[in-house]
Amino acid sequence: MMNTSMGRKAGFVLASAFGLALFSAGPLVLTASAEDVPEGFKKGELAAEPSADMIEAGKRVYFTKCVWCHGVDGAGDGPGADRLWPRPRNFNQGTFKIRHTASGELPLFDAKKPIPGQNDLYETVTHGLPGSAMPSWEGILTEEQRLQVLSFVTTQLVKDRKFTDKQSETQTILQLADLKPKEATDESRKRGSELIVEKKCVECHGMEGRGDGNAFNLKDDWGFSIQPADWHKCWNFRGSRQDPYNVKNIFRTFSTGVNGTPMPSFADSTSVEDRWDIANFVNSLCERDALGQPLPIDPLTDKPKINFVVPSNVVEGEIPADMENEAWQKTPKRYVAMGGQITHKPRNFVNRIDDIWVRSLYNDKHVVYLLEWDDRTKSVAEGKLPWAPTEVNIDIKEQEPKTGEEGSIAAHQNNYTVYNDAIAIETPVKWQELPAPIKPRYLFGSNEQFPVDIVKWEADGSIRAFKGTGWDKDFEERDSYEENLKVLKSEWKNGRWYVMIQRPLGNKKDQDYDEDTLFEMGKYIPTVFFAWDGHNGDAGRKMAVSAFYYTFLQPPIPQEVYIYPFVIAGGIVILEAWVLTRRANKRKGKTL
Amino acid sequence: MKALMSVGALIGAIALLLLVGMILDVVPSNTVRLVEGYMPMQMLFEVACFVVGFAGLSFLLSAMGMAIPRFWQGIGFWAFVLLYLKFRVYPPIPFSVRAMYGTVSLVAVFMWVSASEEDWKKFKQPIMNVLDAQSGANKLLRYAYLILIPVLIGWTSFNSMKPKSEEPIELRTVHPAPPASTKVHGKTYTLQTSQNPYRVNPEGKYDQEYSNKLIVEQGMGRLMAPNANPWDEKNEGYLKYVREGGEIFFQNCHFCHGDNLNGRGLHAFAFNPIPANFTDPGTIAQLQETFIFWRVSKGGIGLPNEGFPWASVMPPWEQHLTVDEIWKVILFEYWHTGYYPRTWD
Repeated sequence: MMNTSMGRKAGFVLASAFGLALFSAGPLVLTASAEDVPEGFKKGELAAEPSADMIEAGKRVYFTKCVWCHGVDGAGDGPGADRLWPRPRNFNQGTFKIRHTASGELPLFDAKKPIPGQNDLYETVTHGLPGSAMPSWEGILTEEQRLQVLSFVTTQLVKDRKFTDKQSETQTILQLADLKPKEATDESRKRGSELIVEKKCVECHGMEGRGDGNAFNLKDDWGFSIQPADWHKCWNFRGSRQDPYNVKNIFRTFSTGVNGTPMPSFADSTSVEDRWDIANFVNSLCERDALGQPLPIDPLTDKPKINFVVPSNVVEGEIPADMENEAWQKTPKRYVAMGGQITHKPRNFVNRIDDIWVRSLYNDKHVVYLLEWDDRTKSVAEGKLPWAPTEVNIDIKEQEPKTGEEGSIAAHQNNYTVYNDAIAIETPVKWQELPAPIKPRYLFGSNEQFPVDIVKWEADGSIRAFKGTGWDKDFEERDSYEENLKVLKSEWKNGRWYVMIQRPLGNKKDQDYDEDTLFEMGKYIPTVFFAWDGHNGDAGRKMAVSAFYYTFLQPPIPQEVYIYPFVIAGGIVILEAWVLTRRANKRKGKTL
Repeated sequence: MKALMSVGALIGAIALLLLVGMILDVVPSNTVRLVEGYMPMQMLFEVACFVVGFAGLSFLLSAMGMAIPRFWQGIGFWAFVLLYLKFRVYPPIPFSVRAMYGTVSLVAVFMWVSASEEDWKKFKQPIMNVLDAQSGANKLLRYAYLILIPVLIGWTSFNSMKPKSEEPIELRTVHPAPPASTKVHGKTYTLQTSQNPYRVNPEGKYDQEYSNKLIVEQGMGRLMAPNANPWDEKNEGYLKYVREGGEIFFQNCHFCHGDNLNGRGLHAFAFNPIPANFTDPGTIAQLQETFIFWRVSKGGIGLPNEGFPWASVMPPWEQHLTVDEIWKVILFEYWHTGYYPRTWD
C-alpha cells in the first residue's frame, strides 16, 4: 500500500505544481511540469479504450487460458491459485509489478500498440514472469489474441481503477529507449556496490544480494509473504523479459519500483547516473561461467542450459577442504536444476531451492562433492519432525487444493515449523547391472535387488547414510556406514550454503558391494540430488529433487592422444607433397 | 528481364541481411515467425526466395561487370545452406541432422558446378591456379594451405581423441504397449471396452459426437468454441465436467505439464526429458482415452518392462486422485488441446 499512496501523493504534488505554474508566465509552464518528473521520466498520455470487439474476443481467450489461475473475476483465486506461491495476480486493484511508469501508476497498455518498451502488460503476457507460474504466451497466443485478452483484463477485471480515467490516472513514463546504458566498467560496478549499501538495498536483498536480508517480515499488498529477489539468479527476475543479462531490465525495475510489494521506486532519490551504476553492479552478480560470460539460457525453459555430466577431477593425496584451493577452482561447476517433489505425499508444490551448483574431486580412496546453493535462511530444527525422516507418508493429509486465501500455501509461507536444511546425494548401488528400464524407478530405489545408496547431510551437522529399496518403502538407516563419511565443510554465509561431502569410492574387496555404490573411473554413475529448506517446512520426502545426472570420474589423458595427431598430420603432409608433384609432372607433360 | 532480375536482387539482398542479422544475434530468429503446422512449407518458400534472390544478385553483379566466379558461387551457396539451417530454423535442429542436410547440399552443389565440361573447368580453375602457383599471391596461398591443413586436421583429431564426458544417449519408448486391463482403486478396467463416463451429453448419455463439437478450436491459441465456455454456470454434461477436470489439472498437473499443456510447467526445467507435451500431435492425439487412464493411474512406476527403455517420474495418480477425478482430467486434456481421443474402431 505504501507505494500506491506514495504514487498518489506524488501525483497530487505534481498537479498542484502544475496549477501554480499556470499562474506564472506562459513559457514557464512547460519547464515547470518537466522538472517535477523524476530524472529519465516523461509525462505521457493515457491510451484510448480498446474496442468492444477486442474486449469480447479477449473474454474468449481469458476463459480458455487464464481463468484457471486468475479466477472468474480476476481476483487471482482460480482453481490453481491456492497451491501457488507467489499467488496469481489479483487484477481487481490494478496493481501490476513490471512497468515503465512511475511508482503507483498503472502500467502501459495500448491495445493498438504491441511495441516492446511501450506496452508493459503486453510484454508480461508475451514473456511471462520467470520464477512464477506465469508462462510465456508467445507462440501460443497470437499477438492479436494477447492484446485482446489484455483488453478484457484491463477493462473488465481491473475494478478499482480505470485505465482511461484522466481524472485519477497519470502516466509518467521511463524513457528507457532514449537512455543509453552506462558502460559496465569496474569503476561503475564499484560505485554500484557502494550505492546498494547507501540506498539500503542490502537490508532486504542481503549482503551478497542473495535475497536473504529481512526475508521474513516482507508482505505484499494482500498480506502474503514475499521474498526479495536473489540477484544471482537473474533468469528468475520477474521483469527479465526472457533477456536476463540485459542491464536495462534491472535499471527499469529499480527506477519504477515494483507495485504491490515493498520494493520502492528509487527514481526520485537516485540520479540516472547512479541508477546505471547500481544496475551494472546487480547485473554483474548474476551467475556467469568460468570465463565471466553469461550462462547460455535454454530457450525452452528460460533457465540456464543443463549439462547432465558432473565431471570429477583427480587430485594426488588429500582432497582439499578449502574451496579456494586451485584444484576446486579448476574443476567445472555444474548447474543442477531442482523441482518440487510432487510424486509422493507430502508433495512439495513450492520448492524454495530451485538449483544447486555442484563440483567434484576424487583421489584413490574418496570422492568429494562440493555443493553450493542459495537458501535465504539458515534453518536448524526447532520442532520435532511429525514423521521419521526415512518414512514414506502415503497417508499424510495434505493441504486441500481449494482452501481460499487463508489456507493457501502462500499464506503458510514463513509460518512453518522449522526443520533442518539438508542435502543428499543418491546413487544406485548396482548401476553397472541395471537393465535400461529400471533407472527411473530408483528415484528412491527400485526394489530389494536394485537399491540406492543415499548420503544425507543436515544442518545440525549430522551426516547419515540410507538405503532405499523402492518408491513406497521407508529408507533403511545404515548405521555402520556413517563412519566412512566425512563433512569437509559446511557453512551458511549471506544466503548460501557451502557443503563438502566426502565418501569412499567403494571397492569390491573391502566394501560391501551390495550396499555401496562403486565409483569407477571413466564410467557414468547416475546421481540424483535432494535438497531441503527447513524454513519451507521441508522434511522427509517434502523436498526438492533433481533429474538424473551423471558423476564422471575423469580418467587421466592417455599417452596416445598426444602421439597420433602428429602421425596423422605427418600423413597429410606426405599426401600434399604427392598431389603437388603429380600436378607439376602433369604440367611438364610427364606421367608417372 | 532486367527489372525482374533487380527485384530478385533486392529480395536476395534483404534476405541476406536478415540472415546475417540472425547470425550476429542482432535480429532475433523469430522475427519472421514460423507458423505452427506450416513450418516445412514456409521453409521451402523461404529457401525459394533466397534462390530467386541469388539468381537476381548474380545477374545484376555480372551486368555491372563484377561477376562472381563459379567457384565462389558454389562455396557461397553451400555456406548459405549451412548457416540457414543453423541460425534460421527454430527450434534448433541437432547437429547430426544438419550434417546430413549439409552433405546432401554439398552433393547438389557439386552436381550444379559440374553440369557441363565447361562449368567444371571454370569451377576447378581457381584450385589449379593455387596448385600451380604462378603468381606471388597464389604461392603464398599454397604455402599457407600446406601448413594450415595438417595443423587443422591434427588439432581436430587431437580434440576428438581426448577423453570426453558427454552425456550418454538414452533412447526411450514414448508410447509403451498397454496391458489389456488395469486395476484402479479396487476395480478392474478393460482398456478396450472402457469409456470415459463423463463424455456425456446434457441428458447424461455417452456421446462422443456431442463432445467433439465442443472442444477448443485448432489453430493458434486453441481457443474455446464460441458459446462453449466451460465456465458457464448453466452447463450440463460434457462442458461441466471439463471445468471440473480443469480444476483438478490446475491443482495437480500443471506444475509439470504446464499452463498450456505443453510440458513446460513450473518444475519442468528440472526434469529430463521434460514432461509430455499434450499439444504435440504425437502424444494424446494418437491415443485412446483408456490408454491415458492407465498411464495417469499407474504413472512411471506402472510402465511395463517390455516397453523399455523409458524415463518417467510421473506419479501413480491413483494415490492422489479418485477414479472420477482421473477421468475428468483426461476429458479436460482433450478439450484444452482440441484433439479427439482415438477410438478402438
